[in-house]
Amino acid sequence: MSKRILIVDDEPRYLRLLEANLRTEGYEVATAQDGVQALDVFSVQPIDLVLLDVMMPRLDGFGVCQRLREFSNVPIVILTARGEEQDRVRGLDLGADDYLVKPFSATELLARVRAVLRRAQAPTESGQARFFTHDDLKIDFARAEVWRGEEPVSLSATEYRLLLQFTHNVGKILTSEDLLTSVWGVEYKNDKEILWVSIARLRQKLESDAHSPRHIVTRSGLGYLMPPTEV
Amino acid sequence: MDLATLSFLHKTFQEVQRKQDWRAALDTLFVSLRGSFVFDNAAIYLEDSQTKASEVVYARAVGRGKAAEADSMWGEGIANEVLSKGKMILKEPRKGLSYANRLTEAHLLGFPLYVGGNMNGALVFIRFGGPQYTELHIQIASLQAFWATALIERKELQDARTELDSVQRQMRLQDDFVSTISHELRTPLGFIKGYSTSLLRQDTTWDDSTQREFLNIIDEEADRLARLIENMLESARLQSQTLQFKFSPVRIDALARDVAMRIHTHHPEMKVNFDVETLPSIRGDGMRIAQVFENLFSNALKYAPASEINIGMRLMSDKIRVTFADNGEGIPEDYLPFLFERFYRVPGERTVTGTGLGLYICKQIVMAHHGNIWVESVLDKGTTFIIELPVDPTL
Repeated sequence: MSKRILIVDDEPRYLRLLEANLRTEGYEVATAQDGVQALDVFSVQPIDLVLLDVMMPRLDGFGVCQRLREFSNVPIVILTARGEEQDRVRGLDLGADDYLVKPFSATELLARVRAVLRRAQAPTESGQARFFTHDDLKIDFARAEVWRGEEPVSLSATEYRLLLQFTHNVGKILTSEDLLTSVWGVEYKNDKEILWVSIARLRQKLESDAHSPRHIVTRSGLGYLMPPTEV
Repeated sequence: MDLATLSFLHKTFQEVQRKQDWRAALDTLFVSLRGSFVFDNAAIYLEDSQTKASEVVYARAVGRGKAAEADSMWGEGIANEVLSKGKMILKEPRKGLSYANRLTEAHLLGFPLYVGGNMNGALVFIRFGGPQYTELHIQIASLQAFWATALIERKELQDARTELDSVQRQMRLQDDFVSTISHELRTPLGFIKGYSTSLLRQDTTWDDSTQREFLNIIDEEADRLARLIENMLESARLQSQTLQFKFSPVRIDALARDVAMRIHTHHPEMKVNFDVETLPSIRGDGMRIAQVFENLFSNALKYAPASEINIGMRLMSDKIRVTFADNGEGIPEDYLPFLFERFYRVPGERTVTGTGLGLYICKQIVMAHHGNIWVESVLDKGTTFIIELPVDPTL
């Protein structure tokens, strides 16, 4: 089955260039001209690799990269300009797998795409899920929206990031230090109280009974976890 | 105030201010004053200016609440009440509670915080058990609320300054001619490289129409590159003032008509109306002023292709005012101040042929003549460029 590649660039001439070459190699191609469109396209069909332009100010390539990484392991190759070292570093830090520098030759592009696809772990389905459910809790990662049953839940930015720690580690006990470092940063590593308050608030918003939580459960002395749901 | 209290406050103030990190400073503040004001938990909530959601930014358990962890009380309810009512709120537990209920009904004291002059935060103290809060306690707690506000403001100012430094550095980089050049030149280069290497690929063939398409793109982009380089050199010469102007008496009306006629031969569809008074000559570089007109015509053809162009010239005391107007779609007001900046292109205008230097060069030329150029525009009505050039009284 042929691989499908999503090209994200707000310059139509680059879309044409990339698409024409990728098709000759037998890849299927999907295109998007801005970040929102990119996330929508990504969510409705299986994508094996994303080619993402980060140069243009109108298209927030880094934002797209970051949001994608919140819920997917799909290989991402960023297109950047030579000399813009901050761009390359930033892209890689945000989770891009490789970069391609403009101007590039068509053969270089194709070789890079082949290499990244070769390196990618075989099942991209597992990282692909746009939606997450846990009992009555439902999350749309692409839109960063959370529902409890039919009711939308409004979470602060920090609460959402905290929740994602649990949804990406279902069944795994996360220590306070892990959570504090991942969500707030290493300076907050021992700031237990702020974690307590945030978990308390999250429970208020997500649980039907905050005192008997089902989504975020405490394991005394060990940490917190989101228990796996029975199938 | 007695001396003992004053020197205690003085010492506390020094210790708190010495802590550069705002959370460490808050810790010091609350711990220092805990002798006079007892609490078990404290939390600070701030409203996010954009989302209006409240975030807990600071939380401490210093007393008996420690053991209860995440189930403990953090005063979110009272914080929300404080945020909506904008005033201090005190909630005391009902009398005669059993020990077991101690954790669920606590003494809650909440203060609004005015960070940056707006009421957008709450500081909540929670105490389990113990006597009621007296007026003195409330005063001390209120003092801490003011202090906390100052500390948060200090942090936000520090953050803002770091952000500003970073932005300034970025802007300096962007203003760096060299880095902008490389960015601007790379776009057409990227296409030329990309499309030519596509055609050169040995592992595939392209059908005839695709080959022509790619070759046309390469051709167009090469032209664009040439124009860009020409403009950049000109711009660099203007910048370093090595561009020599040759001043002599010039009749601007004749100049403008010449340029119009020249352009008309290439673009017969263009319609230009002249509304010109009798004007004296001015002292200027005819070739450069002609360049300004050429650029204005070129822009009008690009951005207002179907429009008539109306050129007016008036003598006003010591200068000549030239207006160059079209009836095109106009330019949004927000973008007008930036139009004459180097490499500026109106967002949304995806013209592959623009270099972003034309108006910048025009401005440099006009200013070299001790004149002025600016633009007025109304969406859907049109755009007018206004040039003023001083009259030479000796001519």
